[in-house]
Parts: sequence; C-alpha cells; structure tokens
Amino acid sequence: MPIADMRASQLNRGVDFVRDAGREAGKLWWRFFDWLAVVEWRQLYLTWLFVGVFFVLVNTPEAGFWYIFVSLAVKVLAGGKRKAELLAKEATLQANVATLERSLAEARMAALQAQVEPHFLFNTLALIGQLIETDPPEAARVHAHLIDYLRSALPQLRARDGGTLGKQVELSRAYLAIMQARMKERLAVRFEVPDFLGSAPFPPTMLQTLIENAIKHGLEPKIAGGTVTVRAYVVQADLHVQVCDDGVGIDTHAGDGVGLANIRERLQLLYGTQAELSIAMPPGGGACATIRLPYRMMKEAP
Amino acid sequence: MMRLGAGTGSSGARPATALIADDEAPMRDLLRARLQAVWPELAIVAEAANGVEAVELGERHRPDIAFLDIRMPGLSGIEAARRLYRDAHIVFATAYDQYALDAFEQGALDYLLKPVSAERLATTCARLRTRMQAAPAARSAAGAAVAAAAGMASPACAPDDIGAQLARLATLLERGGHGNAPGGAGKHGYLRWIQAQVGASLRMVSTREVLFFQSDEKYTRVQTASSEFLIRKTLKELLDELDPDEFWRIHRSTLVRVDAIAEVVRDLRGRQLLRLRGSAHELEVSRNHGYLFQQM
Repeated sequence: MPIADMRASQLNRGVDFVRDAGREAGKLWWRFFDWLAVVEWRQLYLTWLFVGVFFVLVNTPEAGFWYIFVSLAVKVLAGGKRKAELLAKEATLQANVATLERSLAEARMAALQAQVEPHFLFNTLALIGQLIETDPPEAARVHAHLIDYLRSALPQLRARDGGTLGKQVELSRAYLAIMQARMKERLAVRFEVPDFLGSAPFPPTMLQTLIENAIKHGLEPKIAGGTVTVRAYVVQADLHVQVCDDGVGIDTHAGDGVGLANIRERLQLLYGTQAELSIAMPPGGGACATIRLPYRMMKEAP
Repeated sequence: MMRLGAGTGSSGARPATALIADDEAPMRDLLRARLQAVWPELAIVAEAANGVEAVELGERHRPDIAFLDIRMPGLSGIEAARRLYRDAHIVFATAYDQYALDAFEQGALDYLLKPVSAERLATTCARLRTRMQAAPAARSAAGAAVAAAAGMASPACAPDDIGAQLARLATLLERGGHGNAPGGAGKHGYLRWIQAQVGASLRMVSTREVLFFQSDEKYTRVQTASSEFLIRKTLKELLDELDPDEFWRIHRSTLVRVDAIAEVVRDLRGRQLLRLRGSAHELEVSRNHGYLFQQM
C-alpha cells in the first residue's frame, strides 16, 4: 500500500471521527438544552452551587463560571419556547391516547349494540317455514314483522333515527308480534308510551333486551304465561323506560346474564352517573326493569 | 287440549297412538302435519302445551309414543319423560341448543331437531315402527332382549338404562340453564341478587353492581357506584350465600367485591387500605385479613 494512500485513509478516518464526535456532542448539547428548558429554577441554582464548589476545588473556576453563564443565558433566552414545544409534544401524545380511548369506547359500543340473538332469528325463520305449510297468511304476517325487526336490529341496516324511543318501540312491537305468533294466548302485550316521547333519544337494543328477559325469565317458565307492559314517562329531567311482567319473578340465585350487564356498561359509557338500570319486584309479583336517563326532546343536530 | 285421531288400524292390530307436547302451538301443528304425512296410521290421541299437562295426558291416555319438547313451562320435557318412559317410547324435540345436542350425542335416546324435517321424522318413525312390531311391549327389558335376538333394531336400551340416561340429561340441561329455573351463565347456588326494600317494592340489586357490604349495628349497608341500600341480612348470612371468589372479607364488618379493588395502599399508621374503582370510598383491611394482599 503506497504511503499517500495510507495517509488518505487515516485522514478519512480522522474526518469520520470528528464528524461522529460532533454529532454526539450535538446530541448531548440538545439534551442539555431540553433539560435546561424544563428544569426548575431552584434545581438549576443547586447545580450552580455544586458545579461552582467543584470547579473551585479543582482550581479551575473559569469552567464553572462558563457553565453558569451559558446555562443562565440559554434558560432565559430559549427556555420558555423550548418548554412550550416539549409540552405541546406531550399534549399531542395525550390527545392521541384520548382519541384512541374514545374510538375504543366507540368500538365497544358498536360491539355491544350488535347483539341480535341468533337463536331468535333461527327460531323465527323456522316458525315462518312451518307456517307456510300450516297457515300461509300468518306466515306472511310473521315474515313482515321479521323484516321490520331486522331493519332496526342490525346496525348495518339501522336507520339514522334508530336511536329514538319511537324507533325502539316500533322494533319491540315487531319482536313482540313474532313472540305472540309463537306463544299465542300465553303472551299479552301492553304499551303505555305517549306519542310525544317518540322523538326522545334512546340507545338502540336496550328496550329489546329488557323485553327478551321479561319473556324468557318471567313468562316462559310460567304455565299460564302473562303480560308484558312497556311504559315510558318523564320525571323531572329524566326519561324513564320501564318493562314489567307478571311472571315468575326473579330467582335470587340465578345470574343476571349478559344482557343486563351489557346495558349497565353502555349506560355508563354514554351517560356516566346520570343514568341507571334498576330492577324491582313489585308487590303483586313479577318483575320490573327500569332504565332512567337524561330526557331530551329530540336528537341534537350533528 | 284434546284431539282424538282416528287411526286406521292395519290388519287388525291396534293402531299406534302418540302424544305431542310443545308449548308453542305452531310447533304442534307442524309436527302433527308431518306425522300425518309420514305415518298416516298413527293416531295422535293428545296434545299438551306444557310439561305438567304432558304427564297428565300421558298417564290418562297411555300412548305408545310421546313426542316431548325439551323446554316447556311447568316441567321440562326431560322431567316429563322421567314420569312416562316406562309406558311410552320417548322422542325428544329440541330447538338448536348446544347443551341438548351434546347430551343426546352421548346417549341412545331418540331426538328430533326443530324445525322437524320430513326426512328425519320418517327415519325416526321407521325405527319406532320396527321396534313396536318386534315387541309391542318393547319398553320392557324382556322386549328389548327379544328384539335384539330377532336381529331387529332394538330400542335404545332397557328402562333402567333409560332412567339413568334421563337423570343424567336432567342434570346436564339444568346446568345449561334449562328447565324451570331461569338459568344464568356461570356457577349456580350462590346468591346473585340482593333484595332491598325501597318503598312498596323490593329493589333487586345485582351482586355485580355491589362494591362492598358493611355491617351496621342492626343492618348491612350495600354500596353500589350510584347508591346505597340498607338490608336486614347480616354479614355472616351474606358470607355464607355469596360466591367466595366474587366477594372477600377484609374486616370484621366488611365484604368487598374483588373486581372492584383498584389498589392497596398503606397509610401512615401502616394499616392497609383498599381503594375502589368507581367510588371514593377507602376500606380498611384488618390485621388478620392482611394476608390476602401479602404479595402486593
């Protein structure tokens, strides 16, 4: 290897080293800069004291003086701006987390709302199949009710105004009509929902879940069957929506199932502590489930 | 609910008789129509709308075959079968239901999946006819033996076996949340609802909502995220009835919901305190319950 070449490569290596060192120093400098920007003044005074004492002890007070001078200048001139930048960065991070949490909550809501009982769908289709053979006009009626039910029950098909009490009552009527085709005289239905409440916002599928529960746990186990009553009324600033049955009541040792827990979780997500689901056994027997939430006359325009 | 079918007896033999039990009228209508199509001679002598009626009518009419829906009010189809199987061939009908299907796969009992298809019903009826021809009393063990010796499709098994199978089914389906008890998912037997008197009605508070129970002198305080109730049940009674995995005793006077515990902290005096999710309450852990949170 010729000498010139060796010199050139050494020179290259030297240049590389200087460049790397410069980059490292730069990094360190900016780190120092960031630290200065956010450090408390009191802590800075302390470092000045220690550094000052240290450099005086090793007999180079100038270095200590330079440290104090430079850090003071940087802190005064650039600190505020840099601090604001850092804070903004952190705020952006937090905002992203908040957005994420919100979209997670929304996804959870969607999952919670998408609960159409597959058994119900299957049984209803089976019912229509039988009725086609034994009672075609009835088959046509049940079929129409099923279409109504699915239109409001499946989120993909849900109309824009699906989240109103009127829509939910309509859906429940369709569901109850199907159940009446199956249970005949064992199921009677009463609605006590004033028309003016039809436009009030009310979350989808909750009323449905309460009615399913009333039938499944209250009336189906009872030989004579009974009545499901759906009521809605306003007390002060709250809308109350109530589903009562005169069935076998609640077994205190049977779990409350997925449905009610799901309603509680959704109410909590939507209204926090302003809403609640309460279950009661009226003196006359049976069971009543009541959803209470803030009453608004109509959905706010988006 | 009586329906006398005019069975056209073939070659002098008494026409076979059947009972149909289902709480849904359309299901009964369909099964009757299907049976008339695949087995015209079969006389449907009674129709029942619930388990109690099924047993009554079964004992009164003594049908050869009982078609029983599993989920019926009053008595489940399984319970009704336990009363009728010595005198009738039992065929169960069940809507799609994983528990029931699993149970049947293990046994040799006849079952139909609702909605009943014509082909499946024809197969079942052919099997029933073969059995009944082989031995009109094929429900006895002797009959089963005769049928087996004759190389016929024998009935499922001897009555004792059937009884045992039905008993097993009953427990299986009970666990699946069937029968008369409105079943919930999860463990049975523990208290799941707290009853608190509020005005004229009994307020039912799900144990899932309860953060903690704290005993007062005469009452026990039930605390949820949004409200509190007073009940007369003592802490001792609650302790006996609640699921021990759901609630822990952390103090002579406190039961806490395990899920609700957010963190365990020590105060200046070295006492352990529990902080709860969804409530500002802090609960003291007594010294002799400190071991619950030893690793923390």
